[in-house]
Amino acid sequence: MTRPVWVVVERTGDRPVDAVGEAIGLGRSMGASVRALDVGPASATVDAALAAAGASGIVRIPPPPGTPLTGAVWAVGCLAALPPEPAIVLVPSTVRGRELAGRLAAGWDAAVATGVVEAGAPDDGTVHVSRPIFGGRATEELDLTGPRAVVAIRPHAFPANGTPTHPETTEVPWPSGTAVPAARLGPFEPAASAQGPDLADASIVVAGGRGVRSAENFRLIEELAAAFGAAVGASRAVTDAGWRPTAYQVGQTGKSVTPQLYVAVGISGAIQHLVGMMSSRVIVAINSDAAAPIFKVADYGVVGDLFALVPALTAEVRRARSGPGA
Amino acid sequence: MEIVVAVKPVPDAETRLRPAPDGTRLDPAGVKWVLGGYDESAVEQALLLREAGAATAVRAVTVGPAPRGEEVLRSAIALGCDRATWVETPADAALDGIGIARLLGFAIAKVPHDLVLVGKHAGDDESGIVGPALAELLGIPSFPAVVDLRPEAAARGFRFQEALDGGTVRVEAAPPLLVALQQAWNDPRTAKLPNILKSRKATIDRVAWNEASAAVGPTPGGLARPTRFRLPPPRTGARMIPYKTPEEAATALVRALRDEAKVFP
Repeated sequence: MTRPVWVVVERTGDRPVDAVGEAIGLGRSMGASVRALDVGPASATVDAALAAAGASGIVRIPPPPGTPLTGAVWAVGCLAALPPEPAIVLVPSTVRGRELAGRLAAGWDAAVATGVVEAGAPDDGTVHVSRPIFGGRATEELDLTGPRAVVAIRPHAFPANGTPTHPETTEVPWPSGTAVPAARLGPFEPAASAQGPDLADASIVVAGGRGVRSAENFRLIEELAAAFGAAVGASRAVTDAGWRPTAYQVGQTGKSVTPQLYVAVGISGAIQHLVGMMSSRVIVAINSDAAAPIFKVADYGVVGDLFALVPALTAEVRRARSGPGA
Repeated sequence: MEIVVAVKPVPDAETRLRPAPDGTRLDPAGVKWVLGGYDESAVEQALLLREAGAATAVRAVTVGPAPRGEEVLRSAIALGCDRATWVETPADAALDGIGIARLLGFAIAKVPHDLVLVGKHAGDDESGIVGPALAELLGIPSFPAVVDLRPEAAARGFRFQEALDGGTVRVEAAPPLLVALQQAWNDPRTAKLPNILKSRKATIDRVAWNEASAAVGPTPGGLARPTRFRLPPPRTGARMIPYKTPEEAATALVRALRDEAKVFP
């Protein structure tokens, strides 16, 4: 039996995040109708994006004006619309999406998995998923049993299936009598590196380490990242030295990233760093020490002076991206 | 105000990962279980709040089998937690995150919990499910990726920053609430030897499995069942790009990324 799929819309500004389109694509590949569940005020921009992504319907639950959209409030809205009948709910595995997944699974009595990179819903009534664990050093496969499942999908792990639709929008009223917890949220402040994509969400990451030697030299990393259209990352040595803020840190105590391409420059490859980037699809290492452990996990290695190699690579990448055949 | 810190024993970072004989999960043989990095951060945060006079007591709570459940609580006590609660699970109870959240909720509902602190996720399964699920079950708000948590000077509450995807949000929130600590911004302390010795004799409150297991619901283990634990194919080491000039290296690398790896542009 094919269960209906609901995709929870996470917004950034006035548009859905990329993983919403990817979740709609996954839902359609499961052969079901895919309803987008949007807790937020009416928005033509959001509706248009959901139609372009292939949603079969849109269910909108506008919260009372002025309500801060905390995870608790978001969950109240979703739970008001979700049926008790068997269904699969897909959410983006972002910081907020993961929080919502946990709250929904508890409140809707569903099986749940986050950070999912493969998913299938065969006819045996389970959802099979796989997800990297231990910082990408292993993968676990799970059967989500029971009539209801919540699956948080990792951004960029699934293709968006952009067969456009003309979904109808139905509005569900906010449930009366739900207490809204007291919290005041300030405005969303985009990260300082707002020029490039976000580190956790980027398909290419260029990261610098101790080998860069100073805060000023780190500009080389940023120029290479800009040439690639990549996000900038750093090893702990860099953030500990204060060359760049901790928000840049990739690794055990920083962010875990899984881009298509990870370029590690002047990073020796301590295990604490490796666990945060090892599940990247392709890894390039540039380091002066041919014995550096980073070369054991990298796919391509260049041994040499980064101060000569990086500017040359930046120029070559710029050329390749602007070239007619690119 | 009293703080509860929910902690979880996780395999030490040096653990050699391999599947158990049945292939469904990590082989627990020889694993050294420790208090994880994010959990250390959460404990540190609780202790800082108590030391600043914003909290009167800190209780560590865990769900897990013997002996690691008890050991992780003694580590938390050695760091400075005042009390501890252990929901001892049978060695063969493979609980999913929701099952653990239900057991934690059962134990925590019995004690004062103005602020519940957890790590952003556990270092092994990296689910990040237990904290928010626990908050939903306790009926309190959750904040999933918090840095820089400080007591609110003016009122009974907290100010902090949330590190979301692509940016940050400043938050003011009043108890009761659950906060998941984003990262080790607070540089967790290490336990001093006399405190480690004292922690071995500390009293740990027990919640009996018989009593608590009803909270898990009718499905033993939970609804998410591991079927396979697999390791990536061993990386064979980088293909080294030979070159004479930096420009030559750059050209060869870009060609490989475009034509071979197909990641660019």
